[in-house]
Amino acid sequence: MFHTTFYLRRLHSLVGLLVLGIVLFEHIFTNSMALGGAPALNGALAMMELIPKPIFLGLEVFGIAIPLLFHAIYGVYIALQANNNPGRYGYIRNWQFALQRWTAWFLVVFLVWHVFYLRVFTKGISGTPISYELLQSYFVGHPVYALLYILGMFAAIFHFCNGITTFCMTWGIAKGPRIQNVISLCSMGLCALLCLVTLVFMGSYFVM
Amino acid sequence: MAEQKKVRLVIERQDGPNDKPYEQAFEVDYRPGLNIVAALMEIQKNPVTVDGKKVAPVVWECNCLEKVCGACMMVINGKARQACCSLVDNLEQPIHLAPARTFPVIRDLLIDRSVMFESLKRIHGWIEVDGTWDVKDAPIQNPHTAETAYEISHCMTCGCCLEACPNVGPQSDFIGPSPTVQAYLFNLHPLGKFDAPTRLNALMEKGGITSCGNSQNCVEACPKNIKLTTYLAQLNRDVNKQALKNIFNK
Repeated sequence: MFHTTFYLRRLHSLVGLLVLGIVLFEHIFTNSMALGGAPALNGALAMMELIPKPIFLGLEVFGIAIPLLFHAIYGVYIALQANNNPGRYGYIRNWQFALQRWTAWFLVVFLVWHVFYLRVFTKGISGTPISYELLQSYFVGHPVYALLYILGMFAAIFHFCNGITTFCMTWGIAKGPRIQNVISLCSMGLCALLCLVTLVFMGSYFVM
Repeated sequence: MAEQKKVRLVIERQDGPNDKPYEQAFEVDYRPGLNIVAALMEIQKNPVTVDGKKVAPVVWECNCLEKVCGACMMVINGKARQACCSLVDNLEQPIHLAPARTFPVIRDLLIDRSVMFESLKRIHGWIEVDGTWDVKDAPIQNPHTAETAYEISHCMTCGCCLEACPNVGPQSDFIGPSPTVQAYLFNLHPLGKFDAPTRLNALMEKGGITSCGNSQNCVEACPKNIKLTTYLAQLNRDVNKQALKNIFNK
């Protein structure tokens, strides 16, 4: 017996928390540089350009694209196994369970749009470098896009933070209800904090 | 004489396993301490709907009438519960009754729960006896462990946790919280623990513990207050250790 399902599920959990968690934090960190205006964000982007091209591409493929595709495709399979029922069983954890799946569906669509427009089309095909000025004209010119990006970030942040809680349950780290509640409260606190940071740096494009 | 108080029940009925469900409303006389099983018995005596139509009596299952056997589990006002200990006084009216559709419906509120028995077989939910002879100096049970084992042994395979779990149903192959946690009960037993690897390996198969999505509805729904999520987390720990053994011991 080779427990394929078991290893796939555990890999899905690890990839989500560790690999995609780092990707999310990198995005929040770099984008929050927008608070320092054009010089700060463009400086941070220039720093990334210092990484040699083959290594950068390797990181993008093996550190983002493959883990993300695996997490998304296997995640869709997992989400399809759930019959969300918070309407009947309105407990907090059940709402979080349903939200984990609803944010996942939103993120699949959002990330296809985000990756294809900014990475594949803008940076890859038309060769336009990503800069503060580009993002500002994009968001201020189309406030709907800014709103969709904020929602996309909120969804990713919730999905990651709730993922911390379920990771601790799935790996048998947090066993009893007390520690599970403490971890859930801490991760929801982190969720609120990261959402606030997102609102602030996204808002800064409109006031500066 | 004061007017007789009535209790209205709206019941989701179904004539056969493949028939379309439909709703019928009934009224029974209120009396203090009336529970759902007693109300269904009143309907059985006089199966006439509120529209005055005489219909076939409502079919349901019940046995012990004291929350021990688990047979009368059904969906009452949206939640899976035992009908015998659901008092009309504590329920909002009209009371909605429906079969637990996580299981195949046979007729009306009667469901086929044999899938849970199959799951118990799958997780090796028994203890091997080594022979028919006397076991001298049988291993003793740790009293603290015994307390946990006693708690889990209250499970009456009613299926409340399976009905409440969003990951159990026709869309999924998850065996559900109850049979999964039974593996822990038998792993705790002084003789049963010898087969712990068999049970843990069974839980690592498709539809086993990995299908748990941590919605934690099971622990809220359990009528016997079994700390299902705690034991599921313990089993997660145990299967992870078992996986490491499987990888590194060969």
